[in-house]
Amino acid sequence: MQLHPRFFGQNLRENLVSKLIKDVEGTISGRHGFVLVVTGIESIGKGLIRDGTSFVTFPVKYRCVVFRPFKGEVLEAVVTTVMQHGFFAEAGPLQLFVSNHEMSDGMEYQAGEMPNYTSSDASVRIQKESEVLLKITTVSVVATEIVRTISITLFTMQLK
Amino acid sequence: MNMSVASDSPVHSSSSDDLAGFLETELDSDSASSSESFPIDEAAEEDDAEVSNHRLKRRKLEHIETVDEDEIEDVASVKFSQEVSEASSSKLPCEHPGTFGNMCIVCGQTVEEEETGVSFTYIHKGIKFNQDEVTRMRDIDMKMLQSQRKLCLVLDLDHTLLNSTVLRDLKPEEEYLKSLTHSLQDVSGGDLFMLEFMYMMTKLRPFVHSFLKEASKMFVMYIYTMGDRPYARQMAKLLDPKGEYFGERIISRDDGTVRHQKSLDVVLGQEKAVLILDDTENAWPSHKDNLIVIERYHFFASSCKQFDHRFQSLSQLKSDESEPDGALATVLKVLRQTHSLFFEDGGEDLSSRDVRSLLKQVRKEILKGCKVVFSRVFPTKFQAEDHPLWRVAEGLGATCATEVDESVTHVVAMDVGTEKVRWAIREKKFVVHRGWIDAANYLWKKQPEENFGLEQLKKQGTDDKSDDVGLEK
Repeated sequence: MQLHPRFFGQNLRENLVSKLIKDVEGTISGRHGFVLVVTGIESIGKGLIRDGTSFVTFPVKYRCVVFRPFKGEVLEAVVTTVMQHGFFAEAGPLQLFVSNHEMSDGMEYQAGEMPNYTSSDASVRIQKESEVLLKITTVSVVATEIVRTISITLFTMQLK
Repeated sequence: MNMSVASDSPVHSSSSDDLAGFLETELDSDSASSSESFPIDEAAEEDDAEVSNHRLKRRKLEHIETVDEDEIEDVASVKFSQEVSEASSSKLPCEHPGTFGNMCIVCGQTVEEEETGVSFTYIHKGIKFNQDEVTRMRDIDMKMLQSQRKLCLVLDLDHTLLNSTVLRDLKPEEEYLKSLTHSLQDVSGGDLFMLEFMYMMTKLRPFVHSFLKEASKMFVMYIYTMGDRPYARQMAKLLDPKGEYFGERIISRDDGTVRHQKSLDVVLGQEKAVLILDDTENAWPSHKDNLIVIERYHFFASSCKQFDHRFQSLSQLKSDESEPDGALATVLKVLRQTHSLFFEDGGEDLSSRDVRSLLKQVRKEILKGCKVVFSRVFPTKFQAEDHPLWRVAEGLGATCATEVDESVTHVVAMDVGTEKVRWAIREKKFVVHRGWIDAANYLWKKQPEENFGLEQLKKQGTDDKSDDVGLEK
C-alpha cells in the first residue's frame, strides 16, 4: 500500500486503512475473484521509502470477503436483459449469460415490450427482474474487470 | 439448498444411469475442474436420448404444476440431464454468432478478440455480434416490423426533440425559467425540467409528446444521441417515462462504434426500413439518404451562442415554437406520407420497397413543376450543377437550368441588378432569394414567393447565416 507523506502523522493508520479499502473493495483479483469488503486488518508492516520519490510503501495484510464463481456452482441470479439469443442475469457483481440453446425445449422467446421466455404450457416465464437458479458452465475473466459466465438453467421461478 | 439432487433424480431410462452419476460428480465439484469442456456422455445413442427426452418431458410437465422448492430441484435435474443428452446428439460446429466478453454465447468457447464484430453495449455491456448474425437479426426484425406495419425511426435528442443547457450558462433574462420548471416526480405533461443533479435544465420541444405518440404507431423508435449514457437515459425518462416508446433502444455516444459519428451499424433494422431525424446532417456521413434534417431547436441562449447565432433565443424572447405548425408537426406529416407509401397496397412485394427512395419521392413533390435559374448565387468559377443549392433544388423536384427561357418559373438571385432578374421582372416570373429554396427544404412545402423577395433580403441584412434557417416569428 503506497502512501503520500501528506497522510503521515497521527492518522497514519486510519489513512492507510481507508486508502486500502478504497483501492481494493470492488476490484477483481484473478485468483480470488471479486473483493467485496474488507473485514479486518491483520497487520501493517514497516514502511519502506521508495527510492527517488517520497512515497512510502507499507505491506498490509488484511482479511476480506471475496466472491469467486466456480464452474459447476449453482447460484441465484436476477434477470436483467432478455434477448432472442438468451438472457443476461446478475448475481451481485457477477454478470451471467444464459444462451437459449441451454434452455429446455419448451422455452420460447417472446418479443415485445417486455421480452421474455415462456414455457410451452405458459406456466413458467422468465423476464426482467425474474429470479433464476443457474448452474455455471463457463467462467471467463476479461481484462480483470468483469467475470462472466454462461450457464445451464435450473429453474425456480419467482416472478415479480 | 438441497445438493443431493442426483440421487433423487426420477430419471429411468438406461442411458441416464450414467447421467445421474455424472450429475452427482458435477454438482459436488467445488473448485475449477481441470477439464475445459463439459464431459458429455458420448456413448448415449440418439434413440436412447430421444426416448429419455420424451419421458423427461412428460415428467417435467407434471412437476411444473406444483411450484415447490424440493419438486423444482427434481425438475431441475430432469431438465439438466435432458440438456446433456441433447448436447451429445447434436454435432454441428458452433458458428459463434456472438460473444459475451470473450466467450461464444452459444457454446461458451473462448473466441479470439480479433474477429470483427459489432458491439451492442446499449443492449448489454460486453455483448458483440458478428456481421452475419447482425444481418440475420435484422432480417428477423424486418419480418416483425412488416407484420406490425411499422418501420424504424432513429431520433436525435439535442436540438431535435429537446434543448438542454448547463445551469451555469443561463443568462440573467432566463432566470425566470427556474420558477416554471415541472416536477420530476411525474413528468407527464411537463416541458421544462430542472435537473440539479446534472447541473442542467432541459426544455422539450413543443409537440414532442404528440409526435412520439403518433410516430410510435408507425415506427419502432430509437434514441441516438451524442450525449453520454447517463444523459441519454435521463432524457429518455423525461420523454418516455413509461418506457413504451424506446424501451432499451437508447444509443448514446458511449455505444457508438466510431467517435463523433453516428451510424446505423448498431441499429437492428434494415437500412431500407430506417428513417433518421436529426438536426445535424454531418453526423450521419454514411446514411444521408435515410436522414430527415430538422430545423434546430434553440430554446436557451447558450444554444444560440453555441452555433454562433446572434439572434435571440426563444427563452429570451419569452416565446416558443408553435405547436401545431412547428418543425415536429411538419416532420410528422412527412413520416406519415413516407410510411403510407411504404405500406401502400401496390402490386410490389414489400421486401423490394426502400424507405430511402420513398423519402426522395416525397421530397420531389415539393417544388414539382418549378423551373429554376440561378443568378449570381454561385461563384463564377463554380460548376453550377455541383453546387449544393442546385442539388437541393433538384432534390425538391425542381428542374434547374443555367439559362433563361420561356419555361423558367423562378429566378433565384441575391442581387436585383442582374440580367436574369430584369428579364424575370419583365416576363412576370418569380424572383426570390435562396431562402425560398432553403425554406422549402426545411418546411417540406413550397413557400409563398412574396415572403422571399429580394427586398426582404435587404431588410434582414446579414443577421442570419445563409445556410441556416432561423426561427422566424
